[in-house]
Amino acid sequence: MERAPQQSSDSILATLSVDLLIQILDRVADSRDRKSWRQVCRGFLHAEALRRRSLRVLRLEALQGLLRRYAACLERLDLSACPSLDDHALAAALAAGAGLWRLRSINLSRASGVGWRGLAALAKVCPHLEAVDLSHCVGVGDREAASLAAAAGLRDLWLDKCLGLTDVGLAKVAVGCPALEMLGIKWCLEISDIGIELLAKKCQNLRVLDISYLKITNRSLQFVSSLRKLEDLSMVGCSHINDEGLQFLNNGSNSLQSVDVSRCENVTSSGIISVIEGHKYLQDLNIGDCFPELAPLFLSKLNYLRDSLTVLKLDGFQVFAPSLKIIGLNCRNLVEIGLSKCKWVTDEGVSELVAGCVNLTTIDLTCCHLLTNKALVAIGDKCKNLTCLQLESCKLITDNGLDCIGTCCSNLEEIDLTDCTMTNAAMKYLSRCSELTVLKLGLCDKVSDEGLVHIASNCKKLRVLDLYRCFEVTDDGLAAIATGCKRIKNLNLCYCTRITDLGLKHLSCLEDLHDLELRGVHCVTSLGITAIANGCQHLTELDLKHCHLVDDAGLFALGQYTKNLRQANLSYCQVSSMGLCNLLGSLKCLQDVKLVHLTQVPVEGFESALRASGGRLKKLKLLTGLRHLLSPGLIQMLQARGCRIRWVDKPLNLVP
Amino acid sequence: MVPERRRPPEASSKSSCSMMSESPRNRKPDLPFAPFDSTNLWCGDRHGRSFLEFSPPLVTQSSGLFGPDRETKSKKQHEPSPVDDPVMDWNPRLMLSNLSFLEQKIHQVQDIVRSIISHEDQFLDQANELAAQQQLVTADLTYIIIQLISTAGTLLPDIKNALLSTNPAVGRPGSNQKQHEILPVEVAKASQYDSLVKDLNSCGGNEDELIKCSNNSGVDASEPIPIEDHDTKDNDDGMDGENLPPGSYEVLQLEEEEILAPHTHFCLICGKGFKRDANLRMHMRGHGDEYKSPAALAKPSKEASIEPQPLRRYSCPFVGCKRNKEHKKFQPLKTILCVKNHYKRSHCDKSYTCSRCRTKKFSIIADLKTHEKHCGRDKWICSCGTTFSRKDKLFGHVALFQGHAPAIPMDDAKVLVTSDKAQVSEASSGMPGNMGYNFSGNTSLDAQSPDIKGVDDGHGCFSPMTLDACNIWGLAEFPHSAYEVSESTFSFLATGSCSSIQRNGEN
Repeated sequence: MERAPQQSSDSILATLSVDLLIQILDRVADSRDRKSWRQVCRGFLHAEALRRRSLRVLRLEALQGLLRRYAACLERLDLSACPSLDDHALAAALAAGAGLWRLRSINLSRASGVGWRGLAALAKVCPHLEAVDLSHCVGVGDREAASLAAAAGLRDLWLDKCLGLTDVGLAKVAVGCPALEMLGIKWCLEISDIGIELLAKKCQNLRVLDISYLKITNRSLQFVSSLRKLEDLSMVGCSHINDEGLQFLNNGSNSLQSVDVSRCENVTSSGIISVIEGHKYLQDLNIGDCFPELAPLFLSKLNYLRDSLTVLKLDGFQVFAPSLKIIGLNCRNLVEIGLSKCKWVTDEGVSELVAGCVNLTTIDLTCCHLLTNKALVAIGDKCKNLTCLQLESCKLITDNGLDCIGTCCSNLEEIDLTDCTMTNAAMKYLSRCSELTVLKLGLCDKVSDEGLVHIASNCKKLRVLDLYRCFEVTDDGLAAIATGCKRIKNLNLCYCTRITDLGLKHLSCLEDLHDLELRGVHCVTSLGITAIANGCQHLTELDLKHCHLVDDAGLFALGQYTKNLRQANLSYCQVSSMGLCNLLGSLKCLQDVKLVHLTQVPVEGFESALRASGGRLKKLKLLTGLRHLLSPGLIQMLQARGCRIRWVDKPLNLVP
Repeated sequence: MVPERRRPPEASSKSSCSMMSESPRNRKPDLPFAPFDSTNLWCGDRHGRSFLEFSPPLVTQSSGLFGPDRETKSKKQHEPSPVDDPVMDWNPRLMLSNLSFLEQKIHQVQDIVRSIISHEDQFLDQANELAAQQQLVTADLTYIIIQLISTAGTLLPDIKNALLSTNPAVGRPGSNQKQHEILPVEVAKASQYDSLVKDLNSCGGNEDELIKCSNNSGVDASEPIPIEDHDTKDNDDGMDGENLPPGSYEVLQLEEEEILAPHTHFCLICGKGFKRDANLRMHMRGHGDEYKSPAALAKPSKEASIEPQPLRRYSCPFVGCKRNKEHKKFQPLKTILCVKNHYKRSHCDKSYTCSRCRTKKFSIIADLKTHEKHCGRDKWICSCGTTFSRKDKLFGHVALFQGHAPAIPMDDAKVLVTSDKAQVSEASSGMPGNMGYNFSGNTSLDAQSPDIKGVDDGHGCFSPMTLDACNIWGLAEFPHSAYEVSESTFSFLATGSCSSIQRNGEN
């Protein structure tokens, strides 16, 4: 900070009052711009703090300071990136703004260290709490649910995969939070009909309910059917539910708009029919992988939903052309259709479908092997608003099919061409879609730099690019991408063996890059990694498996610059104990590391490196041989801190 | 728990077996399958045993008793096929010894009643003891009655035969069972005696049917121990659900002894009792090759079942009970099993106490086991403090009341402490607790036991069986063993031969 600009900013503050600054700030949308704003001066920072409503904390050590600054205005707090959060840290952080909290929503997803004490403190300090996400906190059980139930105003609660939760905990929540509107208890395997019954009796305001994969029976649906305000019901993989249960939903006493019964293996079309009959305004129906054949009665019943139905997912069905024709005739407002793994879908069928459903924006045709270019022509012809097209493994499709898509569907945002026989010509056609954000070209080994140049020329908004095993791609292609598609976030370059450090140097200008996969790119050395670490400081996931030339220097760079790195695969790299210790010791966000066949690292190296990680790790992959060589105390310490160690027994295979 | 409970009886049975193993073995070759003959034999034998076993001072008398026994044996050698032969051979000497024994017995009962009177003050505050004493008296009286009847039965062959031929099972005027218990010493009144004999004989006549019925019920329940069947619980205590018009079925009323008898089939040779006819027939094979023939092993009820059977329902012998046929709104019981369970549940002492809560009592051990499955375990607690044995009940309660929620065990320290205590107490009770769990009021009875012993010591051979049983298996089995003696009425008349000592052991 130099003196001169500070004075000038003071003068700006003199003319612009705080409320004016806030007015201006409201017009700054992008997060990076906001970051720049914060760095202008204290006045700007203060204005931003007054305006800030939501906060996502990336590093735990910053939590307390951040909360001290933002406590008064903050409404949404996301701590899901801090899995090492524990009760103590949470309580301390909450104490920073005691009495001031206006927090409405908190995301503690995967924060498995948080227990009932932390949650009790949370419920006590934040009286306005409305939404809590505790999904994937596998340690959460009844005790935690009971603490949470003290937050009486809770409306949204996500408890997916809280494995300790039983009917008792659910009852606590149901009694304590009668205003509950959204509840997710997916994978809470201990919950039974009794719990669901009580929930339905106590929380009459429920709008969204996710009871997927529970071992509940038809009895539960009887009580769920009494929830008048229920709009969205997900019960994926509830194998104990059958048509009899779905018949309870026939009375139409719910306000159901969305039903997901996919993977419920005992449900047949007659059950679905009773759901359709009961709910005229159903918008979203997912019946994928339930039963193999579509009954004619079901197809004709779709007529009931003519005006409302917008999403229909039929994954895994035997859908023939006549069926698709009826769907096309009956569901004119369809926006999204899922036909993945429907192996009998033909060009004719798709043509019939799109002739009726011209509003389709998302079409999933994954693994519809019979489709040819004709289907794509029909889609391009009719569905002008298409945004998402999934064509993985449609091997009969060629470049010419995409010509039509590229020309007609200018809104296309996402296309999956994995395992299709595409060449650079297809890239040329696709480059017309300037809105493209997701492009998956895995296994399209004929796509080369030329194709990438086409893409880079027009698809400025590209965020996800998958070039898995595109052997033809070289550094030049990456250079084109790096200059054309500045906003790339996920980049998969696995087994693109012609890529060298130079290509990575090009990529280092991608500031948004979060996820980079370089598995099997064996020409890459520490030099390239250093360039990436330097340039892409937001990197959170990095896969360097089988990058044999990467050594300690690369790890030092990663440890120094990529402070947000959360997942790293270093298997088969030529790193030594020193580099490993440095990496694990300096990266405070690292949660998931794979350290298989690090031939240069002795047991002591592993020992000290893992000790240096300080118990932040949540997932660890090691060779089985180390199991008895590492000190038992260390393993116990890691496991006590919530680390799951996967022991693998693989032969040393240097050729990927 | 069962094996532990059973072990002592087995031990006692072994000892008793070994003590008198000679007599059955001696009789074996020439003892026929003759119910009425063997009554005689059995009486003598039985006395002999009791004296031999429990009253050393009377050994001389018992040896005298064996005399007649041998005589009958020699007599029978002349009559090798006495099956269904109504001719009674009675021995005046045996009769005399029987009567003198009975006299002695009555004196003993008098003594015990006197001692009750003298200890009245003590019993006032210990009702349990009084009840136990009363049961003791009842048991002895019943025993005396049985002896009397059996003795008289040999005297009055004419009456017996006449009654047998008429088979007056249905519609007989109400039970005289109560009389058994009420009339003590002055039983000898002629009219009452007659009716008693009538009753008992009629029972004997009905024996086939009874066995058939219990066989059926046994098959239905498909469980070796029909008494322990749970499924009929609802059936017999609740409404039957069937509305048979009063005349459309035959009503059969079993007597208390029959109902409470653990066995309904007895070996005529060794006296061993069985719950099922089939088991008896299996057992009989061991007594000789003649029982191994297909005919002997065949199911006897087969022919009978071919004939159309009238619909049969059962009446409870307890006068005033809704299940008693005299009741205005009589509701019959469907099967023998129903009768057994109903009678035990409604009209018997609840002698099995739950070892966990120590409040719930049951008269049927199966009920206790069912209760113990739920008692104390998985306590479901509401935030209001109410406890439930089942989760769904708790959740129903929570759903009903605003603001109530299930309590998590760790929720408040109190609950934790109490549950810990419960565990500790469970652990501390350990094996002895388990041993004693079905002996209700164990401690009070322990305190009482010296009294009984005193009586025993003072008066020689008074009711040796019951006391022996008590001392060996624990005192709360008391009422049970008391009834067991009375059961012999049924068993003796049913098959004509039995040893109650052995049955005690076998139980």
